[in-house]
Amino acid sequence: MENIINVAFIGNPNCGKTTLFNAYTGAGLKVANWPGVTIEKKEGDFEFDGQKMKLVDLPGIYSLTSYTMEERLSREYILQNDVDVIIDVADASSLERNLYLTVQLIEIGKPVILALNMMDIVKARGMSINTKKLSQMLGIPVIPISARKRTGLDELMRCAYSTAKAGKDNNAGLYGNYDIAVKYDRNTKAATESVAAMIKEKYPDTLNTGWIAVKILERDDEICGKYNIDTDAMSENGIETEIINQRYGLIEKIITEVLVNKDKKSHMTDKIDSVLIHPVLGIPVFMAVMAFVFFLTFTVGDFLRAYFESVFEYISNTVADFLLSMNVNETVRSLAVDGIIAGVDAVLTFLPNIFILFLALAFLEDSGYMARVAYIMDSFMSKLGLSGKAFIPMILGFGCSVPAVMATRTLENKSDKIKTILAVPFMSCSARLPIYVLLSETFFARNAMLAAYSMYIVGIAMSVAVAKFVNVGGKNNRRSQLLIELPEYKLPDAHTVFIYVWEKLKDYITKAGTTIFVASVVLWLLLNFGPHGITPYIEQSYAAYIGKFIAPLLAPAGLGYWQIAVALISGIAAKEVVVSSLGVLFGIGNILSAEGMCSLADSLSALGFTSVNAYSMMLFCLLYVPCMATVATIKKETGSLGYTWLSVCIHIISAWSISTLFFCCARLIAGFF
Amino acid sequence: MTLADGIPGNTYKIKDIYLDKNVKRRLEALGMIRGTSVKILTCKRKSAIVIKVRGTRLAIGRKFAEGINTEDLGNTAERVIK
Repeated sequence: MENIINVAFIGNPNCGKTTLFNAYTGAGLKVANWPGVTIEKKEGDFEFDGQKMKLVDLPGIYSLTSYTMEERLSREYILQNDVDVIIDVADASSLERNLYLTVQLIEIGKPVILALNMMDIVKARGMSINTKKLSQMLGIPVIPISARKRTGLDELMRCAYSTAKAGKDNNAGLYGNYDIAVKYDRNTKAATESVAAMIKEKYPDTLNTGWIAVKILERDDEICGKYNIDTDAMSENGIETEIINQRYGLIEKIITEVLVNKDKKSHMTDKIDSVLIHPVLGIPVFMAVMAFVFFLTFTVGDFLRAYFESVFEYISNTVADFLLSMNVNETVRSLAVDGIIAGVDAVLTFLPNIFILFLALAFLEDSGYMARVAYIMDSFMSKLGLSGKAFIPMILGFGCSVPAVMATRTLENKSDKIKTILAVPFMSCSARLPIYVLLSETFFARNAMLAAYSMYIVGIAMSVAVAKFVNVGGKNNRRSQLLIELPEYKLPDAHTVFIYVWEKLKDYITKAGTTIFVASVVLWLLLNFGPHGITPYIEQSYAAYIGKFIAPLLAPAGLGYWQIAVALISGIAAKEVVVSSLGVLFGIGNILSAEGMCSLADSLSALGFTSVNAYSMMLFCLLYVPCMATVATIKKETGSLGYTWLSVCIHIISAWSISTLFFCCARLIAGFF
Repeated sequence: MTLADGIPGNTYKIKDIYLDKNVKRRLEALGMIRGTSVKILTCKRKSAIVIKVRGTRLAIGRKFAEGINTEDLGNTAERVIK
């Protein structure tokens, strides 16, 4: 096997571990999932002095117990043979809390290096840390760094390299240093030693008996399950609590000796918080921030979109001309231009809007504001039986349901998670925007914006209703309580934000590239082929037959037209396809242009389709089945086919009922005039 | 008294935590054990509380706060907190 050094990065959430990791791996970052769970695993390669290194970023955790999946995963990963050295990334400006994890890591017995991140902030606040003393007291190397400013990075890797090498060369076994970092008092030490002896006796092959002994005394569920040791004799002294207290005792001692000018001023954050989480101002300020984000998304986004559209039109025409000049078969030409290019075009022209939305959200997340949002919205969310944390996936839902559903991973309570997953797809995602734009500008002229915005309001209302009234999860339906860290405010790091947005854009483009490409081709096939072979008459195509079959079911909602039915079915692949398929169904190229909309208005009016039908269609599109990518993500995140079907049913039933209700009422009211 | 009865600006010392083992562990990992000083930063009626513990800001749900017994240390400046 090749000589590679395996480095694991670990640390508290918000300690800048991701920024540091990205600084080393750069674009070569690979993101996957830990096997069997929906937690992200990041890996990357790095080379130092010709030595190949494999870097793994473990999930952000506060301690090494076995209460959360993240903790268990990280623990298991470290205990495997593969890890040669662990880099514990700590936020130097909150050293005290970060050290709890450090102390536990050292106890495991593998080589650990403490990377003190954010040293630039420490300096700016007038604090200073005696890293030499800290290293002495902990018994491990301590390297000050600043991931943002890119200082100390080489030194850290050099240390990792030499520490790992020393470990390998010494061949000191996997757990060379059995000594526990915390010098527990006599009683506790005696207890751990006797338990360790019991372990050695019963399970002779165990190497790190010291660590396991401590964990057993701590009543760690996972370890106690694996090692059957009788500790009843020791349990009356509350030794569990003692161990934890002594850990903190050591940490407090370290802090007193090592930290100078301890954090007299974190004024900035407190000052900003006094406004942002003010009991009264908090919510209005948040509303203003969101209004601004949407403003940017829709206005700046639209501005850029105009340019994208012209580019695509140019490409479309050029390709069409080129194929014509090459005397390419008309069918193939049609497939290329009307099928593929038109389909992908409808998607990609909205890239600017998506980009801006995700950029804004990344900004808010990295600055530390998103955590405050969870706090501010907590009391409102409690009325829905959810914690404030569930609000963030809802906001992401405005961008795209797929990352929004994935974001529910942060909700520990299963019932919360499922309720949120069911509610999120009702938040009108950006893929539906082209549909609103097309229909509202075609039929509502001056009131187009109002019509489009109303969709968002209805979406939010439905989301709230689903969250409130759908009762899922186990018998333990107590609302999960909020417990979230509010990190110090900081200026978002450009590199981190860039990588985050790029990942999202890549997902979006891949979706366009594959699902929509396939959907466009399939749709083209269905529209151009009929029972009698290839047909120039859409009315005789397979698509038309399917549409005519479904149309009567949609009639009560004012959507009983086979073309509309086909367009809606195509939207199951991806919502953006509805627009391009309308273009194909009515033979309108470039349907989003002014002329295109005029043609559409004409074609539809000829069928008796008016603005009332249009609004009903918008409602239907808002509510019915989310796109395939979202359904697939729901299945993955809930791990249950049952909940996935539940979601699909809720969508179809609500879509049909609400648009029918609207259409009938509107007709009734119109009948009075 | 419990943490939920706290007043913004005041500091309290934790006496006992009467919550689920899971929750206790999470709080311990965040630095909250018996004897820890906690300062209340913001408090909204009937909703979550923002506190500062060992230099870290946390937003904690009311039900959790009600399970943490404390004694009042009065209105102290940060310097005095351990």
